[in-house]
This record gives sequence, C-alpha cells and structure tokens, in this order.
Amino acid sequence: MREVTRALVGPVWRTMPWRALAAAGVLGLLTAAVPAVAGAEPDPWQTLLLLRGVALIGALGLGFLLDDPARHLTAPVPARRLLRQALRVGLVAPLAALWWTAALLLAPSASRPPAGDITLEAVVVGVLALAGAALAVRLTDEARPGPFVAAFLLLTAVLAPLLAPEDWALFVQPDDPRWSTAHDRWAVLAVVVAAAGVLCGPEPVGRGRRRAAKARRAGGPP
Amino acid sequence: MPPTVSASGLSLHYGRTRALDDVSLRLAPGVTGLLGPNGAGKTTLLRVLATAVPPDRGAFTALGHDPGTPQGRQEVRRRLGYLPQTPGFHPDFTAFEFVDYVAILKELADRGDRHREVRRVLEEVGLGDVRGRRIRKLSGGMRQRVALAAALVGDPGFLVLDEPTVGLDPEQRMRFRELIAGAGEGRTVLLSTHQTEDVAMLCHRVIVMAEGAVRFDGTPAELTARATGRVWSSTERDPGAKAGWRTGTGSFRNVGDPPAGADLVDPTLEDGYLLALDGIGTEVTA
Amino acid sequence: MSAVLEETPVPVSAPVRDGGTRAVLALARFEARRLLTSVPVVLAFAVYVAWIVWHTQNSWDGYPALQDVDRETQTMPTLVGLAVLVYANSAVLRSGRRGTESHFATLVMPPWRRTVAHVLSLVPAALLIAVCVAGQFAREAFKPGAVGHGSPAELAVGPLCVLLFGAAGVLLGRVVRSALAAPLLVVLLLFTAAFSAAPGVTDATSWLAPFVVEQSGPTLPSDLLGRPAAWHALYLAGVVLCVAFAAVLLAGGRTMTVRAGVVLSLALAVTGGVLQAGGAEASPELTAARERALVRPELTCVQRDGSTYCAFPEWEPRIDTWARTVDEVRSLAGGSAHERPLVVRQRVDATFGLAGDAAVPPSTEADRVTVGTVWGGNRVPEFSSAVAAVLVAGSEEAGGELCDGRMVTLMWLSLSWQDDPMNALSRVRLDDSVAGSATVLSPTNPMTMTEGQTDVVRHLLEKPLPGTGDRVKAHWAELTEPGVTTARAAELLGVAAPEKADSCER
Repeated sequence: MREVTRALVGPVWRTMPWRALAAAGVLGLLTAAVPAVAGAEPDPWQTLLLLRGVALIGALGLGFLLDDPARHLTAPVPARRLLRQALRVGLVAPLAALWWTAALLLAPSASRPPAGDITLEAVVVGVLALAGAALAVRLTDEARPGPFVAAFLLLTAVLAPLLAPEDWALFVQPDDPRWSTAHDRWAVLAVVVAAAGVLCGPEPVGRGRRRAAKARRAGGPP
Repeated sequence: MPPTVSASGLSLHYGRTRALDDVSLRLAPGVTGLLGPNGAGKTTLLRVLATAVPPDRGAFTALGHDPGTPQGRQEVRRRLGYLPQTPGFHPDFTAFEFVDYVAILKELADRGDRHREVRRVLEEVGLGDVRGRRIRKLSGGMRQRVALAAALVGDPGFLVLDEPTVGLDPEQRMRFRELIAGAGEGRTVLLSTHQTEDVAMLCHRVIVMAEGAVRFDGTPAELTARATGRVWSSTERDPGAKAGWRTGTGSFRNVGDPPAGADLVDPTLEDGYLLALDGIGTEVTA
Repeated sequence: MSAVLEETPVPVSAPVRDGGTRAVLALARFEARRLLTSVPVVLAFAVYVAWIVWHTQNSWDGYPALQDVDRETQTMPTLVGLAVLVYANSAVLRSGRRGTESHFATLVMPPWRRTVAHVLSLVPAALLIAVCVAGQFAREAFKPGAVGHGSPAELAVGPLCVLLFGAAGVLLGRVVRSALAAPLLVVLLLFTAAFSAAPGVTDATSWLAPFVVEQSGPTLPSDLLGRPAAWHALYLAGVVLCVAFAAVLLAGGRTMTVRAGVVLSLALAVTGGVLQAGGAEASPELTAARERALVRPELTCVQRDGSTYCAFPEWEPRIDTWARTVDEVRSLAGGSAHERPLVVRQRVDATFGLAGDAAVPPSTEADRVTVGTVWGGNRVPEFSSAVAAVLVAGSEEAGGELCDGRMVTLMWLSLSWQDDPMNALSRVRLDDSVAGSATVLSPTNPMTMTEGQTDVVRHLLEKPLPGTGDRVKAHWAELTEPGVTTARAAELLGVAAPEKADSCER
C-alpha cells in the first residue's frame, strides 16, 4: 500500500489540473495585492470581503482538482479512488497553505481580520469545493465535473449570505460580538463538509443492502 | 457512371509528416471502401474531402462544386454528411436534441420540416424509441448510430464515414451495413474501415491507401483477383511467404509468391489487400 | 485544373434550404431553450421571483414613489445575469469541451454565425427579466398609496444588464477557452459590486457601472432627480451591442456588417458615456430648481376642512392621507386649536440630489407643518407629532424647543388616535424604546422626551381614549401654557406624577 502510494505520487502530480489551479492562484494573489498596489487603506469590512473573495477564487480552482480525463480508464484499477483523491488533496494542500499565507501577507495588515478565523472560513470554502467535486464524481459519470462544481460553488457563495438564517451569523464583521461564536459554527461546518466529502470517496460496491434484500425476497439473484 | 467527386493531386503535410501524397481519385454514386493500415492517411483524406481541412496542394470538386472557394465550400457542406472517427457528443442532450442541433447547423431552418427530418433519420437508424433519452444513458452502439443519424440528416448527396463500425458487435455491424448500403442508393458514400468484410459486402469500389498514397483503386473483385495464384496452404509456415498464419484446420495459409507446386487456394479480398500493401512494413495479423 | 476535373461532375440537388439567417434564429431558439431550462438560470430566476414577491409585500410601507421604485428594479436582475453569464459561457465552450468542434466545423453554419445565435439566445432571458421588472413595478404602481412617475430608461437597465452579462459570457468563451474563466469573472464582478456599493458621491466615472442605484438618498420629485437615465440606457445598449459584435468578430465573422456593428455600437456606447457623464453633474438650472425646492418650492395647494395642503404636483394624491392625520390630531385638541386652520407644506432638501441626507429645517411661521416626500410606517407618527407640536406650541420651531409639561399633551395628541399607540410611541422614538428619555423624530428637527414625560405619556396611552380626551379639552389652556410642569400636566390628566422632576436633557 505504502509503495503504491509512493509510486503514485509522480503520476498523480502530473495529472493534476495545474492550469486551473495556477489561474485561480494567480488571480487570487493579484486580487489580494490590489489594495497594496493601489496604495489604498481599506476599511476592515473591505479587507474581510477581499479575503473572503480570495478564498472563493482559490476554492473555484480547487473545484477542478478531481477532474480526471482518464477517469473511465482508471476506474477499474485496484488502487482505491479514495486513495487517489486523497493523494491529489495531499499534494495540493501544502501549496494551498503557502498560497493562502501569501494572500494573507499581501492583504493590508492594518485592517486584516483575525488570521486564524479568516483562515477557518477559507478552509470551509476550500473543503466545500473538494466535497462538491467528490460528490459530483460519486453521483455522476462525468470525467471532468469541474465546471459544475464551480457553478455550484458560485451559486452557494451568492445565495448563502442571502438565505442563511440571520441568527447563524456566519457572515459577520470582526467587530461584531457574535464573531467568535460564528467561528465555532464555521469549525462545525468544516468538519461536516469534510466528512461528507470523505464519505463520497469510496466507490459504491453494490446498489445498497436494501435493494439486494428486496431482490432476494423477490427470488432474484442476491 | 459519371463521378460525383473528383480529386487530383491532393497533398497535405503535418510538419514533416506527409499525410497525403498526391492523391487522385474519382467517386461515383454507391459505396466506395477505403482500406489501409493505421497511419495510412485515410482519416486525413476523409477530413480533406469533408472540407474539415484544406489540402496543401491539389484540388477537388464534390457534387459539382469546388470547395477551394468559400462559396463552393458552403455549397459542398450543404450536401455533405460526415461521421468523424471519434464523434463527440453532448451528453446532456437527448438523441433528438443532438441530431436536431446538427440539423440546425446544416441550416435546416424550418422547425416543422426539420423535426420531421430528424425523426425520420432517427427512425432510419433504429433509434426512434430512445430519441428522448439523454446521450449519456445510451450504449456505445446507440451513440454510434446517433452519430450516423447526424451524418444522414438533411439527406446529403455525399456521405463521408470514418470507421463507423468500430466497436460494434456483429449484430450491430450487420445492422450498420444495411444502413450504409441503403444510404449508398443514389448517394456517393466513402467508407473508411479496417474490416475487409465490410468492403466485400458493401462496396462497389475499393481504394487501398498506404503512407499517404493510393495503392489500389478498383472493384473488390479486382482486388481479390490480385491474389489469384498467390495464396497457398501448407503444413508448415512458409518462410518465403509475406504473411502466413495457422488456420482453424491446423494447416498454414500463406500469402506471397508461392513456391513451385504449392497447394493453391481461393483468395479472399483480405489476401488481395495484404498484397496491395506489399513492400510496406505493416504488421499482418489475422 | 487537371484532366480528371474536366469531366463534368453530376451536380446533385440538395433539399431546399432557407437562408442562413433563419438557421441562426433556429439555433438561437434551441440555445435559448437550453439556457432557460439550465439549473443555474432556473434557480436564479426562482430566487429573483421569490424576492420580488416577498419584497413588494411591505416595500415602501405601502406608499411607494415610483421614481424610487424604478431604480429599485435594477439590482436583483444581476443575480440572474451572473447565472446567464456562466451558462452562456459554458454553452459557447460546449462543443470544444465535448470534442464535437471538429465535426461541427464541417457543417454549413460557420462558427461566427453560431456565436450570433449564442448572443441572440440571451434575448428571451432578458425579455423574461423585463416581464419580472414590469411585474415588480406594476405591483408597486397599483398600490393605493403610490405616487410619482417611473422612468422607462431606469426600468430598461435590469434587462440590459442581463444582456450585458450574457454577452460578456459569450465573449469570454471566445477569448479564453477555459471553463474556469467565467466563474473567476463572476467573482471579480461580485467584488466590484461589493466595493462600489459603498455609499459615496456618484460622479461621471461611477456611471460607467452597469447600474447606479443611489437608494439611500431622499425621495425627490422626478424633475429634481438629475439622473442621466436615458443616456445611461443608451450607453448600456451600446456596450451590450459592442460586446456582442466583438464576440462575433472574434469568432471569425469578419463581414462588413459585423465590423460596422462594432464601430457603430462603440460610437453609441461612447456617446452615451459622454452624455451621461455630462448629465451626472447637476446643471445650473437643476441646482437652482433643487435650491428652490427647499426655500420656495413650486407646490400645488388645495383646501381641506379649512386647512391648506401644498404638495409637489406628483404628491397631490397623497393630500387626503395627510388631511386625515391632521383631522385626527386636531379633533383631539381643545380650545382654539380644535378649529385652527393649518398650512401643511411639503418640503425636501434636494440641494445635493440623491446624495444629500440633510434634515429639513423647521418652519418658523405659525401654524405651518412640514411634510416630507415619504409616507407610511414611521413617517405617520412623525408627521402626527409635528402637527401636534404646531397645535400645542404654535410653530414647528417652538415645538422643537419644548422642554416642559406641554410635551405630554403633544405626544398624547400625536399618538392616542393611532391604531396601536404604544407601538407608535416606540416607532416615533429614535431608539424604539417606550421608557426613559429619548429623541422623538419629526419631518424636521427632532424633539426630546424626558424620562418623566415618557412615563406619563405611557400611562396616558394605557387609559381609555375618551376620558383623557375630555380632560385634555377641559384643561387645554393650562396644559398648553408655556412652563407647565410635567407633574402638573399629569395631575390635570389624572395619572400619577413622575418621580423625577422635569429636566430637558439637551
């Protein structure tokens, strides 16, 4: 298992959608650097919005991470899909962390929201993108679900602030007294979304026990 | 019969690779088969004749129009049906929508007429029952038939089919042959294939290509006749044969120049095809 | 030509086909159907329509001014616009992504005509938005309290925005052949929208944005708005056409029509842009008219029950509503105030157009009440308080300086006739409280209630109306005497005196 993983690192590295990731990464950093380049001193709410947007841009790139044009070829190999997907995530994670650190450093420091909390929000958005991609891979036969994931992510990003219940207070400002409780909720969200993503990883073996049982009762083959 | 498609001196280079080398041919109504090993330039020739790529040199006319001019190319495209080697599909579209889409791109503008025509071709390729199903839900053979329907829609006078029977099971292939034979009535059909049986059963003419050039142009019978007296059977593989393989009966079938007193057998189209490729480093398998 | 070609090939007749234009329209229809049934667009429309239904229920407290409503229709179509952008982009990229491009390239319709069809397929979506905008506007316009005029140019902005976003998606698909480009563009657009939404002075450059809402400012008469709406619609139409023609040009449509289209639409956009920039700065005539609106506005005056009501012509239908409030308050007053003719004049500070947010100074003349341009909700108890202040103190200015027991009578007059007096009390106070000291809002300068006055008023409002009404009329002279204490007023009106002595907490 370990050998397989080690041997897979190289090929998986080469099959990753680097262009999408690079495009999102560069655009994200450029966006984060806009205030510094323009010499502006934005308000705290503006910097918060900027960083949330940068996180969304990065997540849009991550939505393409599980795109695999050779999916139909690699489906029946013994190396598990969860392993291959985890490898992709594992390979991109350090780069994503570096990228996010750079984005945080580029953002105007005077008005920057608490780094840990905003990072948590970024993690949730990123994990949401990955979970969306994993779900798309699980539910559809699509080799490249990236565009769907991006559309879903955008829709969520536009609708969530509009439709999320007011008392969840997910999208508050740093000076809001609910900021810290809001980030407890963000943490819960991160765990839930990540768990959902991982659950989508394994390939389904059968059509589920209930159907098999029904088939047995009906006298069909188990 | 007068030709409907005539080409002369077609050449096309991809960098240093000579994909087409001075190809001249004439096609008449009916099905013409195009045989050749992989890399012989069949697909390139079909793409040129389907006006997908212009040739570097040479010219051709199809159905009385010269695709070398923008106006002529449009006229040819109005009468052309093309089934590419790897037809793409839009998996979200239903079979009907996809063929309808192609029909619109063929400028069949009237909605009622177009829908009738799309239903007709889908019926013709045997997909009438599943025309409302999304393409992602269709099997490989059904998809191939969707592609054929897309080629047939609009009643084209010139059909270019690039390996349409690849990946089909024998029954589907039989069905396809019927369809193509039907399409060949009154139309000019150019059919590229690896299957010599397809050619033997369907085509009134056969062209063999290798290394971008035409190696043979004649009737299937003429191609078979080329092997007359050059196929023999023996108990051992004859080292002098250009190709030889053990048949089901245990004896060896050899193609090439027979030694004196060899046990000559009746040739098939495939033997003629192998001999037409004589001198070309092709892998012969059977 | 070679010898082979000299044999006359047999021309084969093709089925009769119509010109390319009809085929383009057929393709546009096909793509439009897919666009309107795609998941993101359907979802966006669902949210948009739900928003309209929900929002128009209580918007403007039931008293909309249509010159504000038309601007309000501009923001939400953006949601649909973004979905259309993403879908139109993916539709343009579809055949490239699915490997059908090489096949379609051999079909009769050239790629640039396909691009024309993609652009045209946006039109039904824009028409649907136009229907929604019209529905939203009509729903406001048919409210009984609606006044004013909408501007067709302002109403056209929503549909034009959707066209613009969709055309941008098509153009993007022709420039960048990546599925990631459109989502990234959407994020950048959201950024721009979020940052430009910050309130600020609108100048010539801010009018280059697809829409300029200016929702926070005062409600003004139509002719004082000073928004270059028509030029902006022209500018938007020019930009839409320019983007669309550019996409067609990039797709290889290098015909004279397309080239001319790019140039002409660019000229249109530049013309609109320049003219709207000129219109964004208030002209001297407009500035003069705005200043007049505050000092000596051109009002239409009518008589109702002896009082005079002067309103901007567009607000004339609302005079009856004001008159009802004035009558209610006056009927509760005693002495001469019961019959005193008032002059209700509408005033608005339009000096800085929609960017202004200055309060209207109180009127110094006796028996004069100021009414604003907004009505319904909190504006009703505010106006009622102003009427009561004039009846009790003589003029608005005097009412603003009240700091004695007269405040009790004033607030009782203002609130007791209303449906839910206690609720009205909380709404008319700045901090929405019903206890403690607070600022009381009015159409002009605010007034102040001390803690003691608040307690007395609250006790009064808890008692039945007729009894207190009789006491007010009986003791009117003393209750409205300058210098009367809150304790004395409470005593006269039959409620417990406050624990603390009067003190105006200015």
